[in-house]
Amino acid sequence: MKTVLANILAIYRRELLSYFASPLAYAIAAIFWLVSGFLFWATLEGIVGQAALYDAQAGAGVSVPPIDIPYEFIRAVLGVLGSLSLFVLPILSMGLYAEERKRGTLELLATSPLTNWSVAIGKLLGVLTFFITMSLPLLVYEAIALANVNPPVQPSILLLGHGGLILLAAAVLSLGMFISSLTDSTILAAIFTFALVLALWVIDLIAKNFTGGLADAIGHLSLLKHYTNLVQGVVDTGSLVLFASYILLGIFLTAQSIDALRFQRS
Amino acid sequence: MIEVEHLSKIYGSTPAIEDVTFSVAPGEILGFLGPNGAGKTTTMRILSGYLPASRGTAKVAGFEVHEHSMEVRQRIGYLPETPPLYPEMTVEGFLNFVAQIKGVSAGDRADRIKAALEKCNLVEKRKTLIRKLSKGFRQRVGIAQAIVHDPPVIILDEPTVGLDPRQIIDVRNLIKQLANDHTVILSTHILPEVSMTCDRVAIINRGRVVATNTPALLMEQLMGGSGYELDIAGNSIAVQQCLERVEGVKHVEEMQIENLPENRIKVRVVSESNAEPGHAIAAALVRNGLGLYEMRRVQASLEDVFLELTTEEKPLEATPETADTTDNVDTEPPSTQSEVLPTETPSEDAR
Repeated sequence: MKTVLANILAIYRRELLSYFASPLAYAIAAIFWLVSGFLFWATLEGIVGQAALYDAQAGAGVSVPPIDIPYEFIRAVLGVLGSLSLFVLPILSMGLYAEERKRGTLELLATSPLTNWSVAIGKLLGVLTFFITMSLPLLVYEAIALANVNPPVQPSILLLGHGGLILLAAAVLSLGMFISSLTDSTILAAIFTFALVLALWVIDLIAKNFTGGLADAIGHLSLLKHYTNLVQGVVDTGSLVLFASYILLGIFLTAQSIDALRFQRS
Repeated sequence: MIEVEHLSKIYGSTPAIEDVTFSVAPGEILGFLGPNGAGKTTTMRILSGYLPASRGTAKVAGFEVHEHSMEVRQRIGYLPETPPLYPEMTVEGFLNFVAQIKGVSAGDRADRIKAALEKCNLVEKRKTLIRKLSKGFRQRVGIAQAIVHDPPVIILDEPTVGLDPRQIIDVRNLIKQLANDHTVILSTHILPEVSMTCDRVAIINRGRVVATNTPALLMEQLMGGSGYELDIAGNSIAVQQCLERVEGVKHVEEMQIENLPENRIKVRVVSESNAEPGHAIAAALVRNGLGLYEMRRVQASLEDVFLELTTEEKPLEATPETADTTDNVDTEPPSTQSEVLPTETPSEDAR
């Protein structure tokens, strides 16, 4: 057990190091920060404008339903952030195994006393840590924007939302890691992971726009729906189980595909 | 230390290796010699546990490589065909990572890394990013990662590819040093490498081991493939006919050399296996009145052994050649030729 943890840690460190040494990772982070910063600002402006409108209407004597502006703001920001992440995550996960296969380092990992599981877990944790690092500035923006609002926002809601974002990211990255383990082309891995993300989106749309047994059943599989639940402060065990299932499925499939790879024509 | 029995690997319907059997004793260096595509890498990959065999067993340190994969992985150092390197890491950082995943305890790690760096002459490059290293240095880092955890068995797939001659000598010396307390199996398609570094050679061709022996004994086995180089005064057809009749001579070929004195030819006589036709050749030449200027024994180099064992075209080529010569002899009456020619040669000699 101790060696397994040590192995996971070794893989994790190396993976993280490769992100911090990679120009591509910095480029992705820069673009992510630029776009998310802009979207944050746009959302903030929109919400402030909406609040002013409400105030004006209330001042004019029109009866308006009470609205929790800070809460609406968090929902909007995390919603946008979730969507933006779906575009970034495939680029983060594309190289996880494809790069190892291309460089031949998979042969080193596969002939070292490591299980496929520990490699997959270490890698997933590494890429997830990088994503968390990327999303941290947004948490800071939110904290600053919401420091002096009325009604005051509980930090737990903010943290829950970001926890949901991390779970969503972990699930997508885990599946992206599996896709990456199927090919030695990073581009192909990225394209297929984008397709997967698109499929998740379609699932979400079906769940939103249709009713009926099948649509409901599909709706339960929607990562985005469960993410939205968490953002709204609804902690449902079902959501957590679903995220955990996606993550474990990705790790399991990755471990299996690396095993299967060895049976292939090399 | 390594025991391979009846190992086969079949991709789809094409066998990469078939019925490969050999063993390596502790502390020995076995050279796995074969042309490209002979199945060397496949064998190495099976031994390292990277690929499963279709049939047969491979044991490393008593453990079957696929059934007890983890035990085997702990005991081997493996340099694949392309050295498995992370370009964004420094040499030292990479070796540290490898030592970690190979299970070297934290206390020993620094010493092991230092030892590996020293053995592979990488000390001054230890802070350099692998991305910035030349091919030769990368290859050395590849070897360093195979020995950093001090494994009892070291598997090296083409360890000297891409190195310059000086580096090749270094690597060969390194491998020889390693053999003192490690068992080494290395694959190569370079012949001198085997005779210089290995205790034993297994020659593989088209997936089959065609010979296993020490380099010296292999050469002896095929000594028959050796022969003589002769410098003779005389007509080439006459010489050929005369020599081919000698017992123990496999075939005779004229060497195309420019600027030979007039009417002098150089021929190469290849003798049959285990035959020593030296004196018979000399006697036959003298009997036919041909002038012999030089006669030199040509040793079979390992290269010849290799070619003999792995080239299937060679006997095919040799037979049409001999057929050609016999054809010539048949069409042109041999008696007149042998009568005419000797009369010419003594006159030449007389001048």
